[in-house]
This record gives sequence, C-alpha cells and structure tokens, in this order.
Amino acid sequence: MKKHDWIPVFTVLLSLILGAAVIALLGKNPFQAYYNLLQGSGLAPKASYAGHKGMITDFTSFLNALTPMLLASLSVLIALKAGLFNIGVSGQMLAAAFTATVLIGYSELPAALAKPLVILIGFAVGALVGGLVGFLRHRFNINEVVSTIMCNYIIQYVVSFFINVFFVDPVSRQSKNIGAAARLTLVDAAVGDYKMDIPLGILLAAAAVAATVFLLKKTTLGFEIKAVGFGSRAAEYAGVRVGRTRVLAMMLSGGMAGLAGVTYYLGYFASIQPRILASTGYDAIAVALLGNSSPIGIIFSSFLITVISKGSTYMSSTAGVQAEMASALTGIILLISACGAYVREKINRWKENR
Amino acid sequence: MSEYIIEMNHITKRFPGIVANDDISIQIKKGEIYAILGENGAGKSTLMSMLFGMYEPDEGEIVIRGEKVRIESPNHATRLNIGMVHQHFKLVSNYTIAENIVMGMEPVKKTLGIFKSLDQRRANEEIRALSEKFGLEVDPTKVIENINVSMQQRVEILKMLYREAEILIFDEPTAVLTPQEIEFLLEIIEGLRRDGKTIILITHKLEEIKKIADRCAILCRGKLIDVLDVKETDTKTMANLMVGREVNFSVDKPKAHFGEEILKVEHLTVQNEDKFEVVKDVSFSVRGGEIFAVAGVSGNGQVELADAVAGLLKPSHGRIFLNGKDITQSSIRSRNLEGMSYIPEDRQNVGLVMDMSLSDNLALKNYFEPPFSKGAVIDGEEFVKYSDRLIEKYDIRSGQGSDTIVRSMSGGNQQKAVIAREIELDSSLLIFVQPTRGLDIGAIENIHRQIVEQRNRGKAVLLISLELDEVMNLADTIGVIYNGKIEKIADAGTLTPGEVGEFMMGVGGRHEKA
Amino acid sequence: MNTIIIDGLSFALPLFIMAIGGIYCERSGVTNLAIEGLQGFGAFCGALFAVSIAPLFAGDSPMPFYLAMIFAFLGGMLFSLLHAMLCIRFKANQVISGVVINILAMSLTEFMTKQINASVFQAASNKFVLGVSARVTVPGISAIPVLGAVFTNLYPFEPVIALIAFIAWYVLYKTPFGLHLRACGDNPHAVDAAGIGVGKVRLIAVMVSGALSGLGGICFAYSISANFSSNIYSGYGYLAIAALIFGNWKILPTLGACLLFGFARSGGYELVKILEMPSSYQDLVMVLPYVLTLLMLVFFGKKNHAPKALGVIYDKGAR
Repeated sequence: MKKHDWIPVFTVLLSLILGAAVIALLGKNPFQAYYNLLQGSGLAPKASYAGHKGMITDFTSFLNALTPMLLASLSVLIALKAGLFNIGVSGQMLAAAFTATVLIGYSELPAALAKPLVILIGFAVGALVGGLVGFLRHRFNINEVVSTIMCNYIIQYVVSFFINVFFVDPVSRQSKNIGAAARLTLVDAAVGDYKMDIPLGILLAAAAVAATVFLLKKTTLGFEIKAVGFGSRAAEYAGVRVGRTRVLAMMLSGGMAGLAGVTYYLGYFASIQPRILASTGYDAIAVALLGNSSPIGIIFSSFLITVISKGSTYMSSTAGVQAEMASALTGIILLISACGAYVREKINRWKENR
Repeated sequence: MSEYIIEMNHITKRFPGIVANDDISIQIKKGEIYAILGENGAGKSTLMSMLFGMYEPDEGEIVIRGEKVRIESPNHATRLNIGMVHQHFKLVSNYTIAENIVMGMEPVKKTLGIFKSLDQRRANEEIRALSEKFGLEVDPTKVIENINVSMQQRVEILKMLYREAEILIFDEPTAVLTPQEIEFLLEIIEGLRRDGKTIILITHKLEEIKKIADRCAILCRGKLIDVLDVKETDTKTMANLMVGREVNFSVDKPKAHFGEEILKVEHLTVQNEDKFEVVKDVSFSVRGGEIFAVAGVSGNGQVELADAVAGLLKPSHGRIFLNGKDITQSSIRSRNLEGMSYIPEDRQNVGLVMDMSLSDNLALKNYFEPPFSKGAVIDGEEFVKYSDRLIEKYDIRSGQGSDTIVRSMSGGNQQKAVIAREIELDSSLLIFVQPTRGLDIGAIENIHRQIVEQRNRGKAVLLISLELDEVMNLADTIGVIYNGKIEKIADAGTLTPGEVGEFMMGVGGRHEKA
Repeated sequence: MNTIIIDGLSFALPLFIMAIGGIYCERSGVTNLAIEGLQGFGAFCGALFAVSIAPLFAGDSPMPFYLAMIFAFLGGMLFSLLHAMLCIRFKANQVISGVVINILAMSLTEFMTKQINASVFQAASNKFVLGVSARVTVPGISAIPVLGAVFTNLYPFEPVIALIAFIAWYVLYKTPFGLHLRACGDNPHAVDAAGIGVGKVRLIAVMVSGALSGLGGICFAYSISANFSSNIYSGYGYLAIAALIFGNWKILPTLGACLLFGFARSGGYELVKILEMPSSYQDLVMVLPYVLTLLMLVFFGKKNHAPKALGVIYDKGAR
C-alpha cells in the first residue's frame, strides 16, 4: 500500500474548512451549506420534493454530471502516465461531441443503433485529435501542452462556426437539440412513481475505469506507457518504440476525452453552446492530480468535485450562498492539492531525518 | 598569524544514513597545491563544499587566515576570496564568455545619464585583460555553446579570478579533458600558484597529484587516512591508502578460446545531431570468447559507436552484422532478440527507469515475452519471481526487494541490476560501456569478474572504457579510437600501456615510421 | 484600411503586454499557463476599483480608467504570487499550477463579482459595467495616409502600453537584472554560483508577468468587452502564449506576432463585413493565430527554442 494516500484527504478537509470560514464570514451557516450540497446531489434527503422527484432522481442526475468528469479525468491520467500533459481534453470533447451530434444526433437512426454509434464516433474522433497531438510531438517535437492549447481554440472556433452557420437553434442560440434516440441519458424516464434522468454513460465510465486499471496494470502497452512516462530514454534503450507509445497513449487519452464529450454534450446536455469550451477538461487535470494519479483515486476526486458543483444550485437557493461559491471552493481544493507534492517531500525528508 | 591560510578542524558532516565526513582536520599553507585524494564517495567533495559554503558542518570549525568563520553561502566564500570550479560547469550556454564571467558583478554604465545598464564593452575589455594577465587566452565575445570543454573550464577559472579568489578549489578538473588538455591545465595551475594562489585539487588520479601537488590528504569512507608529502611518497602507497587495502589491479583470466565471429562492423560512419561525423569509417569484428576493448579518451566517438551498434543511433554509412545477419536497419528490439545485450554508460537515464520498481526494471527487456506476458496481458507474479531469483543470484541489495523503486538504490546496486538483466538475456554479444564508472573498488572487481566469466562462456564482449587500466587488464584485443577513427587494432599482449596511450592521443606508431 | 489598423492595434497591444509578461516569466524558467487567470484577476481588481470610485468622478472622466489600470496591475501582481509560491517555493508542477490558477481566478472572480454586486451594490448582476474608454486622435500626425491610422482613435492605454513595453525590453536585454533573469531560464545553477538568488529573480519575473497580464486584462475589459464579467476569460491569455511561442520567446518578434494576430483579426472582421457575410464567419478568422502558430512550429520548429531550463524545478543539489 502506498504510504501517503491520505494527503488528498487532508487537502480536501483543509479546503472545506477554508470554504466554511468564507461562508461563515458571509453570515451563512457553513454546515447547512455543505449539507445542501449533499442534498442537491441526491446524497441526503431534501425537506421536500416536486412531483415525481426524490432523492433517487437527484442522485441519478448527479451521476449524469459525474460521468463526463470521470471520463475526462481518465483521459488526463492516461496521458500523464505517458509523461504527457493533455491540456486539450476540452477541445477533444467538443470535437467528438460535435461530430457525433451532426452524424448521429440529427439522424433518424433507432436508439439501439444510434447510442452505440455515438459512443464509437466519440471515441474515434477524440482518439484522432489526441493522436494528432501525439504525432506532432513524435514527428515534429512540438510540445503537447502547446499543441493541445492551439487545438482547443481551433476546434472551439471551427465548431462554433459550423453550429452558427448550419445547426443553430434560433431561440436558444445553441446547436439544435439532438434526438432522444441518440442521447446517452434517458430523460424523464418513468421508474415507479419517479421521473428520472438515467445516465447510461455512467456504465461506460465504470467500464472505462476498469479498462484503464487493466491497461496500466496488466498489459504490455500499459507497461510501455509507464516506462516512457518515467524515463523515455531508458524505454527507447529497452526496445520500446517511444514515439508509437506516445501516439497510442495520446489516442487513448483523446478517446477517453471523446467519451467524456459525448456523455457531456449528448448525455448531460443535448446541445452544444458555440464559442464556449467546457471547463470540465481543465478541471479534470486537477481532479486527476487530486486523485493521486490513480484510476481508483479519480473516482473519489471526481465524485467530490461533482458533488460540489452539482449541489451548488440547491445550496444557493436554500442557504442563500452564491452558487459560484461552489466553484470557488473547487478552486481552493485544487490549489491546495497542487501543493501536495511539496508536502509529500517534506514528510519524506522529516521521516528520513528522524 | 598562523602559517596556514585554511584550517579545517574536526569537521564532521552527516547525511541521512551516512557520515560523509568523520572528524577530519586539514591545514593548508598559502601558496601550496594541496591535493585531496579519495575514491568516489570518500567525502572529498563534501569536505570542499563546506569550505565553499554549500553546506555547513555539523561539528568542527573552519579557520581562514587565522580567523574562525562560519561560511554560510558560496557568496560568503567568494567574499573570503575562495573560488571553486565545479565538476559540472555552471555556465549559461547562450551567453558570451564575458557575460558569464561578469554575471553578478557587472560593470555598469548610465545610459542617457540615468538608466543603469550593462557595459558590454567594458566587460569584454576587462575579461580580455584578465585572461592575458593569467595566460588564459579567451575571446570574451564567443558564446559558450560554441566553445569546447577545456575552453569552458578556462571560463570557470576566469570566473574565480575575476572575483579575486586567492584560494582556488578544483573538483575533478581533468575528468573531462584529453591528455593534452590535462597537460595544459596542470601548467595553468602551476602558473596560478606562481602568482601566489593557494590551490586545492580534488581528484582520484594519482599521476596528476604526483606531477604537481605538494601535499596530499587521503580520504577513505569519510575518514582522513593520512596527509602525505607527495615528493616522498610513491603512487602505489597512495593507492593502497586510498582504497584502504592492497590493490590488486590485475584480473585472473584463463587463455582465450576464440569461436565464431559474432559481431562484425564494416565501414561504420555515424553523424551526431549537428551532422558532424563522430565515428568515421570504423571496421572491426568480435569473436565468441573474445573481449574486444575500445580504448580512447572521452569524446572520441566511442559512446556513439556503441549506440550505433545497439541501434540507438542510425549510422550514415556502413553495415553491422550480428551472428552473420545484417542488422544495420533493425530496430533496437529486434537486435535484442537477435542476441545483443547493452550495458550503457548512463545507467541512471538510459539503463534504468529510475521511478519504476526493481522487478519492472529487471524485466525491462523481456516483459513482452512469455512467461512475463501472454499476448498483451502481463503476469505480475512472474515479474516478481524472476526478479527475486536475480536479486539472489547477483546479490542486488535493495530496501524492499522486488518492489524497491530503483531510484532509492545505491549506484553500485543499480549497476548490478543492469548487468544482471543484460547477462540473463543470454545474448551472444555483450556491450559494456564504462561499466565501472563511479563505483567503488569492490564493485569494480566484481564487475570485472563477471565480464571475464561471460567471455569464458564463449560470449563476444565489446568493452568501451576510458580507464586504460581496465582495458589493459581485461582485453584480448584492443582497438584504440581517436577522433572517431580506430587507429590501431592489435592483440592485447602486443601493446604496452604506453603505446596504447600514444594511439589514444593520435600520435601512435609515428616513431616506427621515423 | 484605417479600421483594420486601428482595431488591430487596439487588440494587439494588450496582447503584446501580456505576452511580454509571459516572456519575463518563461525566460526566467517558470512555465506560465496562468496568463489567462492573471489577466482576469487583474481586470477584476481594476474593474472593482473603478466601479467603486466611479461616483466620485464625472461621467466622462478618464480618472477611473487610469486608476483601474494601476489596480489591475497590482491585482495581477498579487495573484501571480500564488503561481510563484506554487512553482518556486512549493516546487509544484508548473503546468498544473498554471491550470489551477486559471480555474481559481475564474471561479473566485465570478463568485466575488456576484457577491459584491449583491451585498454592496444591491444588484443581482454578474458583471461590473465599465463602458469603453474614450479615444484620442493625435492631431497632425494622424492626417498622414495609412501610417496616420496608428495615431487615430487611440485608446489611452495604447501609448501607456508602448511605453511600458519599451521599458520592459530595455530591462530584459540591457540591464544586469535582465542578464540574470535570462540566465535563470538557461542554467539556474550558473546564476546561483554567481551569488544571485534564483528564487528571487524568478519571483520578480512571475510578478512582472502577473502585473503586465493584469494590465492587459483591464485594457480588454475597457475596450472589447466594455465590462468585467466571465467573458474576460475567452482565451486572450492563451493567445498571448501562442504569440510568445511564435515570437520565439523574444520581445521584438513577439511584437510582430501580436501585430500579425491583431491585424489578421481586424482584417478578417473587416473582410466579413465588406463581403456581407454573417458574423459567424468571424469565427473562422479567430482560428488564424492558432493555425499559424501550429504551422510555424511544424515547419520552423527546429529554430524555435524554448528556454532550456523552462519548467524544470530548480533544485540546488541536483546537477
């Protein structure tokens, strides 16, 4: 067992205390605010529910929001293991989702065909963009941080152009809503007395976590990815094809981002807002970090971050704390977790000196 | 005032898990050349780092010019007129020589009478004057990345002189130089002494000490063994004191039985990144049961030669055959499978993935084969089983066995791991580049034994070493490389070390013709 | 033609000043992906100050704007201390630190804008309305054909930026401090050995970057957006990074890159207008700088050198 797995826990506790202090300063009750976050995420019962709604519907809606975050974090993680920073998750999400929207979302295909195709296209397009980034690194030695940033904006504006010219909904100013058949979330599905949003994507995300664990622990490709990430020169010396491994890792990373994209834009939402990149891709970098760069850790960290963001609306309406407080709280958690490496080193040194 | 310019009394310095300096006392006179001799890890650099203010001693005192001082930083040391040339130069590669020297003490002018700015012209003039004064000619306007190592070292020396250093510390200054450059450096050092400077020379090379030092402190495992008057001591005595026991430099080696030709290199030419030919038209072959040792001074193309044979560099001309098969265009992986093992010079960055576990590293070259994996699926238990066996067989010491992260292991054990992995591949060809660099005597002897054992088992061994002793002791056949060319290939018995040395400097064989 | 120059300049200059900050930071060896967040936070500070003191001045007084510039400068500097602390003191990964700071800046300023609007100004708004700062035309020179456009309809911040940019150039290339700073990005050990504190030089570099980013941010807030809101985070910081990479981490070529980006943008907009295409075609124009930078890297990447020690955590002991 690793020794300092509790550092993220302390990070989170410290952040929550800081956040509580801010809320208290604003004259609100921090405990109530935090409890509201849980309530808003369907993890605690609310005082009252609207018709056909309940804790379970809140929870499935929470899972709906969790899905893309989890997948995006996996995307960051896989690249990170190969020693690459995928800053372009947001762009890859958008590219994948836009392609899937246009090809499948607006088609008349039956659900049984449309949904798998959306997933497939999402993965493929994401992998393509990721692979391009990997190729630019391999062939032209262009740092992936730079190329992913460039790709993000190129994708953002190109997609925005196409939406505005061809697919815009004049009322919402977003892309036209996709058909229900292609959507990865079953909206207002009647289960018993409830009407709930059932995110099919969460199964996909769970499978993706399992696949990532398997990839990294049990496959030769995973071994090669880690070897390249930890020491590319040694990996090359040992006969690993470093360039190919990087391209593959970026493709897998991009593929995960693509899945995050389709579960976000064709699941959680049903349309794409032009000129905006989802912040999920950036948050995911920090979520991966908070999750100690392990697939299992990421489950916890993305859970936490999603609770905060998802529950914020309810917190705002009930406790009267601005909903933006939630994202500020997230920011603080990420900030403190970025110091984790330093704390770890200090602890190690302290132990050695004892 | 005492007769000593430097006194270090009862200095002790501890690092986690090790006492680097244990109650060491030395006194150095003004104007002498004082050598500090010891093996790697004997504590030489640590001791001098404290004099230069990089560490503070845990116990003991430092007295400079009769005054007790606490040297808190290199800056403080500079104010005390102490300068140091580090083993790894500290130069800004895209700056000129002058900019590097004056940095931190720049001559300043006022532009338009108000704005302080760097006076480039005065800097150049000052450096030119300084370099002429000490006979260290440099062109102050040249950029560091365009000058060679010995010139860079000169810049480091000028940096000290610019700061008016009176006490000059040299940390292994000859390690990176060719014999001629070493000769010249020693002259420079002599010259500095004539100018009244006090010089401290950290080294493990006995000949240099014998040549220029007045006195010599010998360190062994953190302890001061003795301080000798160099003129009255022979190198053998110094060597024995340095190692702490009788040194047996020779290796027991049965007569060679050469087998089939395993490696054949034909007209091999290799270019570096700047399209400069670093290996030129090299041809040789290595048979089974033969140790073919390439002797040469550092930087004459031997590392590139090894990298090209191993597939890490692509040759521009020539062909390479392994077991009769042309592998010139083969990938690294297929060369390994064909029967090639490679112990690279840089074990920390090339030979090992430092942040992976020992078991992962031991299987680094066969993780994709059964029993380690079936298809694309890895069997972790096999990794551990295999590594447990190698740890036992090669006596690799590590904190947590197979799970140990390699970075946390000692250099000697890291090298053991590399050698264990490569030998276990059971390849027909083994390439060793500087296999004993930075290791202590015990480890060196052990590695030498293993190299000979592989040769006795009929393997072909290509050994590339900068240590002439190592070459002379191990080789069956010697190839001397100079300036990218193999100058001479001969049976080991037919060459004396002196002759090999001459070929290494590119002047071998001339007197035969004359 | 004139519009292209006027609009191009007013976009290029704030971008340029942010890029200069980035150059300072990166030439000292600290990767700076945080420009986006720094400019936003700076703009927030400036905007907050401006709306707070606005009642004290007449409606058309330029004073709030100048004060806002100063406070944006200070605000960006203040926030950059976080990046400095993470990168220099805590030795965090600099890419991660940059990303985290961007997220934090965005969330904090959004929260505070709303909170302050609600509790101080009793308004449920998520922006501070600033308006567009008045423009000036230099009489005389502006009459020169083509070139005169440079001096026409200037935002007051443009000459300020030009002056600061010149000072920044002078300090970086002509003074001892500049020598130390650039050395930190190549070989910090050499700087340390010369008795100069690497951490201190880098701290100053990061702070300069923060200050200049803040300045750039408030200029955008007073020109393009006319208010402070989350719209300020629409990628100017990343565009500045593209510009400084395009400019090979050197100030003058970076100016060229910024002007290229600026004129391409204004030229494209103008073209779209002239051809009477729908405004969505502007999006295609926006892609240009990024595509150009990528293509430049693909074709001339070998001549493009990031500072050697960029992103490497400085550890005295390591070699």
